[in-house]
Amino acid sequence: MGQQTAPPIVRSPDIPQPVGRALRTFSWILLLVVVYVYGWQVTQINLRELVTKAPLVKPIILDLLKPDLIEHRPRGEEAQAEIWLDRTPPSPVIQQVPPWERLLFWRRPPAWQITLTPVQAKIGAAVTITGKGFTPSRPVDLVWLDQSGSTATIGKAETDASGRLQTTVKVPVVIGTDHHVVVRAILEGTTPGPSNALRLTASHMVETIFLALMGTTLAIIVAIPLSFLAAKNLMARSAVGSSVYYAVRTLFNITRSIEPLIWAIIFAVWVGIGPFAGVLALALHSVAALGKLYSEQIESIDPGPIEAITATGASMLQVVRYAVVPQIIPPFIAFTIYRWDINVRMSTVIGLVGGGGIGFLLIQYINLLQWRQAATAVWAITLVVAIMDYMSATVREQVV
Amino acid sequence: MPGAAVRLEHLTKTYPDGTRALKDISFSVMPGEFLIIIGLSGSGKSTLMRCINRLIEPTSGKIYIDDVDITTLPPDELRRMRRQIGMIFQQFNLIKRSSVLTNVLSGRLGYVPSSWALTNYWPREMREQGMAHLATVGIPEKASTRADQLSGGQQQRVGIARALMQDPKVILADEPVASLDPATSHSVLQYIEALNRRDGITVMCSLHFLSLARRYGTRLIALKAGEIVFEGLPADIDERRFKEVFGEEAIEVEIR
Repeated sequence: MGQQTAPPIVRSPDIPQPVGRALRTFSWILLLVVVYVYGWQVTQINLRELVTKAPLVKPIILDLLKPDLIEHRPRGEEAQAEIWLDRTPPSPVIQQVPPWERLLFWRRPPAWQITLTPVQAKIGAAVTITGKGFTPSRPVDLVWLDQSGSTATIGKAETDASGRLQTTVKVPVVIGTDHHVVVRAILEGTTPGPSNALRLTASHMVETIFLALMGTTLAIIVAIPLSFLAAKNLMARSAVGSSVYYAVRTLFNITRSIEPLIWAIIFAVWVGIGPFAGVLALALHSVAALGKLYSEQIESIDPGPIEAITATGASMLQVVRYAVVPQIIPPFIAFTIYRWDINVRMSTVIGLVGGGGIGFLLIQYINLLQWRQAATAVWAITLVVAIMDYMSATVREQVV
Repeated sequence: MPGAAVRLEHLTKTYPDGTRALKDISFSVMPGEFLIIIGLSGSGKSTLMRCINRLIEPTSGKIYIDDVDITTLPPDELRRMRRQIGMIFQQFNLIKRSSVLTNVLSGRLGYVPSSWALTNYWPREMREQGMAHLATVGIPEKASTRADQLSGGQQQRVGIARALMQDPKVILADEPVASLDPATSHSVLQYIEALNRRDGITVMCSLHFLSLARRYGTRLIALKAGEIVFEGLPADIDERRFKEVFGEEAIEVEIR
């Protein structure tokens, strides 16, 4: 009787006890703190340096804001003519200018011209220079341009009131047979023109866009047939088909998981540094990416038309042509343009590792610490990527 | 019964997941008949239709088209057999982005070389035939319209023209009017009826409205859970049979 039995404690297994719950929460927080403290140390985060060392980057930032676009060249007028020493002049090659090229105004020959008499001479002989079309009453330099490309001033002269020129020079002591006489007039002021960096950037940008185009095109050619092999609804009808499906899918996944930058390094070693390596790197990566998108599109097509066309007694080829292809063309076009857009972006980076294109130019400017020239390339990339982005979005909207 | 256009003997279909869609189905369809197959969704109507041209491979049993067993045909002969059997679908199954005429012509694919498909080449006389079939179904002016621009009834008429392009002996119509409104349903069924009466094409048509079945069918088969529960004249299906097929709560709905 004196024994008291404690009332049984009923514990609901579903509701954790307050202490246990708090302990669990606390250990989760502790774990997170440990993870982030470790992460902070591993990644060497240093906020103080971020602030105190900011002035170091200031000149670079300022240069990046002032891209090297325009160059002021001294204004001048220059004309040259060929002269041959100790050999007969080759018969003149008449250059036919195609009619369309006459429309290109920058291809028009300049107004100033000179002729030499005679065009064949010996060292020490006198050669008369007759010129026209120059600015009137200006001093001009007479320059000898030899076969190796080096120049030497051989005299001075002045144009008359009508912009003509008539003077005589002696052939200097030079080596070689094919030479040029150059008449050069320096005028006051300068002419603005595209800078060297801008011109290089433009030509590399063209290379970049074509690099993306070629890479994408190569990828399309390979990806389209492969995508049919990677479509479950077409392939998973037989054991052989299924194994092909899994093989192609695996190939796609492996290829896609390796960044184009890595491929570019591999191909730069393989085919040499240059745009071709970039084309191959982009193509390989795009095959996998496009192949996956294409095959998913094939998998999501409406099976109704396939059934209907099969029921007419059509062959496999006819079924694909009439029931599959019309359904997949619009999304294929949309994906392809999207991929080209990505590839233009990628190709700017791919040059950094030797894949050619604008990235190759950019990394050279960066290595030479030519920040204003680098800025030209950076801004060009920004501009082109933005334009591509806009264009691809517009086209895709219209297709789908 | 020899001489039948379509004859099924002990046809069964068991899907890989174990569903027994058809259980020992046997019947014959004589040339020129308009056979209606009624039944609820899942009763096996679609499976039955698709077994006849082997879009679905039957598990066992025999299918005879003009007394030829087609269950063992090799691929080439299967294609030749299929082109004699036109098929019309509930969802029309047109190539949506292609023109109406291309859709109609696609019915002829079983007769032309595969290589023609690459350039979508069709000889002039086939194009003219396609136009003639479009005129038969009353929409010749839609030939160059994209198929998905048409109304449901018009799309189904393109489906009929496509089947006609096959010069079929038999037309399988799988719920041809289930996606259409009552008035359009009648118009579509009247086109199919005309083919049956005028051209003597044997028709097998699945429906789920008894009123339509009575109006168009010359004979009727009712399916329930993969088994035939009624076979006879459409007029003979009475209240008791009707409840057997469609369940106790079913009320007969008339489509006029």
